Amino acid sequence: MKKLFKFAGIGAIAYVALFCVYFFDLDGKFFFYIYEPFFKNHYDNMARRDMTQMPYDMDKYPAYKYDEV
Amino acid sequence: MDIKKALKDFWYGKPHGERRLGDLYLPKTGLYKHREWRGVKDTFYYFHHIWMYNYLHMVMDVMKYGGLINFAKGIWRYRWVGQTYLPVLHWFDRGLEGMRGEALRASAWHYRAMVNATIYQFMTMFNADTKIRGGKKNDAWYHTFAHNETVWGGIFYGWSDKFKNVSMEMIPYFVTCHVNSHTVHNYIDAVQSIGLPGDPCPMCQAESGLFVLDDVPDYSPLVITCNEACDASVSTSILQDWFADKPLFSLAMPMQFDDPLVHKYVEKDIEKCWKFIEDQTGVPMNYELMCKCIERQNELQKFEWEKWEVAAKTDSYPINGVAQALYRIYQSQFGDLPIWHDTDAKVRPIMEKCVAQKINTFPKTRHRVLAWSCAPLYYSNWCTWAYNCWGLNVIMNMDSLMFDMTIRTDSYENTLEDIATYHMWAPMRRMAVGGMKHIFELWENMERFNCDMVAMYDQLQCKGVQGVHGLFEDEFRRRNVPAFWMPHALPDSRTVSRAELRRGINDFMSTIMHEEPLDPSLLELDDDMTW
Amino acid sequence: MRDLKHLIYFENLLQEANNELVQKAKAEGLRAIGYTCYFMPEVLLDLPGCFSVRLRAPNCASPDMATYYMSARVCHYGRSLLERALEGGYNFLDAQMATETCTVTCRFQEHLQQKNLDSVQDMRIIDNDDFFCEFSDVPFKNSENDYQYYYDQMKYHVLGKLHEKFGIDVSDKAIKAAIKQHNEVCKIINEIGDMRKLDNPPITGYEFHVIQLVSLVCPKKYILPYLKETLKELKTREPEEVNPFRCRVVLAGSENDDPEFTKLIEMCGAEVVCDRYCYGAVESRQPIVVEKGEDPLYAVVRHYLQTSNCPRFMPQDEMRQRKLRLANLAKEYNADGVIVASNKFCEYWSYERVADSFILQRDFGIPVCSIEKEYINTAVGQLRTRFQAFVESIEIKKIQEGK
Repeated sequence: MKKLFKFAGIGAIAYVALFCVYFFDLDGKFFFYIYEPFFKNHYDNMARRDMTQMPYDMDKYPAYKYDEV
Repeated sequence: MDIKKALKDFWYGKPHGERRLGDLYLPKTGLYKHREWRGVKDTFYYFHHIWMYNYLHMVMDVMKYGGLINFAKGIWRYRWVGQTYLPVLHWFDRGLEGMRGEALRASAWHYRAMVNATIYQFMTMFNADTKIRGGKKNDAWYHTFAHNETVWGGIFYGWSDKFKNVSMEMIPYFVTCHVNSHTVHNYIDAVQSIGLPGDPCPMCQAESGLFVLDDVPDYSPLVITCNEACDASVSTSILQDWFADKPLFSLAMPMQFDDPLVHKYVEKDIEKCWKFIEDQTGVPMNYELMCKCIERQNELQKFEWEKWEVAAKTDSYPINGVAQALYRIYQSQFGDLPIWHDTDAKVRPIMEKCVAQKINTFPKTRHRVLAWSCAPLYYSNWCTWAYNCWGLNVIMNMDSLMFDMTIRTDSYENTLEDIATYHMWAPMRRMAVGGMKHIFELWENMERFNCDMVAMYDQLQCKGVQGVHGLFEDEFRRRNVPAFWMPHALPDSRTVSRAELRRGINDFMSTIMHEEPLDPSLLELDDDMTW
Repeated sequence: MRDLKHLIYFENLLQEANNELVQKAKAEGLRAIGYTCYFMPEVLLDLPGCFSVRLRAPNCASPDMATYYMSARVCHYGRSLLERALEGGYNFLDAQMATETCTVTCRFQEHLQQKNLDSVQDMRIIDNDDFFCEFSDVPFKNSENDYQYYYDQMKYHVLGKLHEKFGIDVSDKAIKAAIKQHNEVCKIINEIGDMRKLDNPPITGYEFHVIQLVSLVCPKKYILPYLKETLKELKTREPEEVNPFRCRVVLAGSENDDPEFTKLIEMCGAEVVCDRYCYGAVESRQPIVVEKGEDPLYAVVRHYLQTSNCPRFMPQDEMRQRKLRLANLAKEYNADGVIVASNKFCEYWSYERVADSFILQRDFGIPVCSIEKEYINTAVGQLRTRFQAFVESIEIKKIQEGK
């Protein structure tokens, strides 16, 4: 019984905490002020291929004409 | 203090005129000091069935469609998902602000469907992506088709038992703009950095920019592209072909699609596309399977028509402007998915209840608005704001009206003919090309949906719409139709800010219509940095 | 070099669409058929009884009325055409054979069209009771299916309408006659064009541009004698002893009917030796070959789909091959570089230009000057600086290569 109350208590606290996160937009604030700047910094500093160095072979691919269709 | 009034407001939420939703915002960010108190019932509905439900399902969907490891790798690798995925609940908030009762419920189910479909697509990409696997091609890579976002997903129905298809841009570009408009700026700037001028359609710029920044997953052995919707879409293929460097088939859709001569031609081109896929994969197209998928999709269209009927003829349509527009374009462009059916099954009883009980779902409606032309992606929720602030209820959008048909499955010839028509009636195309008569179908749709005002989107870099600007001005005057223009640059919030868009509407409503705002706190907002 | 005998006459013919030769043909009862796009086969509008006029709006620097109708955010060319039409400059047209091949010229032509709709009032811009505007659909590819489709389009929308409205003879014999005349013009222009392959050509890029343009905007039968005479004159024309130009360039890009633009490039020291742009000669002056027993209309449509280098074409092999063709042209004309120019707001060429500017340099070692221009260039200072710098860079390259 005690355990049940304990679980119920923890559940109630978690529920209230979650509601506070929801109501005070704490999720939004976390994503806006912490999560997004961190990831933005990560993506800004990522090593990326220079796509203009991609080969552009003139006859690598055939003409997909399918005149027989 | 009026305790009775305070208790009433606590229990039922404040009435529309007293909400002062604008006061909830933190300056610049678009974040809330606190989320809106909608009364006990609706606040807890939102908390349980929207906020908690969707966060939970965002995790469950990831597990279902490919697992946390693939997801984490994708998040770490791709900006468009990393910066966008988690703030998704804020996208709900923006679109559902001020909604109550059945309108809140039905609109939120549409959002949920879009989130599920989005997760399905990016997880399909990640499951096959060689870029997060050190260049290794797995079995999924060989069983996924990449295509341009203007290629209708139904083209691939005939392989849906063995292959998946995902558009290259739908999630990385289109969806992210709505959720977090910051990411797309990187892609627009990237393509301009290699010499593209700033004036072509910014949608196509962003689509090309994804490739320039190497931010498109490599998940397929082939690419299907298309000339839809406009000149810039044709040209985007030039850069996409270069940077993707894969076998590519260009599906050609005629411009003058009403011309009876086009059908035989386009049907043959679709068959050629299928032949290309068969040649590349060695797997023949399964017509029976295609028909089954089409019939499922037809069910979706039939319900869409029912929704339109309710929207047109009653005040009980429970879906707000933004949910209606985004869901419709997403669902009809992607094609059949289980989530669309689940959603329709949830929305149907809500709508039937509204109709049966004659519930006025948007009771403060002053004007029934038809939104015409292409919408600003970074501010698709402007219609939620417009209803809360001015009582402008956006009943229907132009791009919702494309694909206005079911597809016959009684014979191969009829199916092919209808697929061709369906494809030619694509978004941003059905009304925009093939003769001026299409773009001026505005008037008949105003009548059809019983609208008395027009929100005229003015995509500054869309040559097709700019090219008829003066004639619209003339016709609005000649017909004495109240219409406000909304200049914007599709995904790029830097060209015309949200505040400028609102200012234009505010000016129109006060100066031309001589009306007072329902919620004055929403007139001037500083949300420049918002997602 | 001695001035070309007819150059000033040609320049005058380019001052307005309704020029002296157009008026002469109209007075004879010939029907004037306007068009804007390469994909509207000029040869079909030159059937006996009518003549083609590729529309231009010379000297239209400020298209104010058209800007009201089309806004300031679309291509200056389309707007200028509408402005000229609103001014009455195209009232001589009996028909406009329209295509929806690029958005802005399509919208321009839709403004001309009498649509007879309840939803939008017609403007009756062309003050000519006989006038009509007919749209054709043009494919994006060049397979047999596309030829057949294009054939059907031309047969119904062009030949059918010309016959129905004006009684034009559209028989195979008439088409063959038009092809013959077309090929005669091509032969002359090509012979003149080939002179530009010489190290010290007897003709400048500007002069060639003027000659090519008059062949597009005047009735063929009236301009032919002048072209023949000019060719004859060029055969004996002595070039300058020392070539005054510092380098040779191919000019590629979007719509360009402004010889002053070519002149600007040449004034900066770059001789324009080849024109691969919309309105240029590379595509439009290739002779049409009718195979033995072939339907001449089929030969026409096949020709136009096979010869086009428009970035509107989107099969994968075609997108790639046209870069190779441009590189080959630079080689054929012994050019030192390529200038790729796109009109502001031209979406096709904005993208093609990006790809050209990287690929030609990287894969073919051809220097590229990539610029954006207006239809009528009023602000030439910036362009002049760009071209001068380009010429200097080519000269430095030559010095480094020991040439």
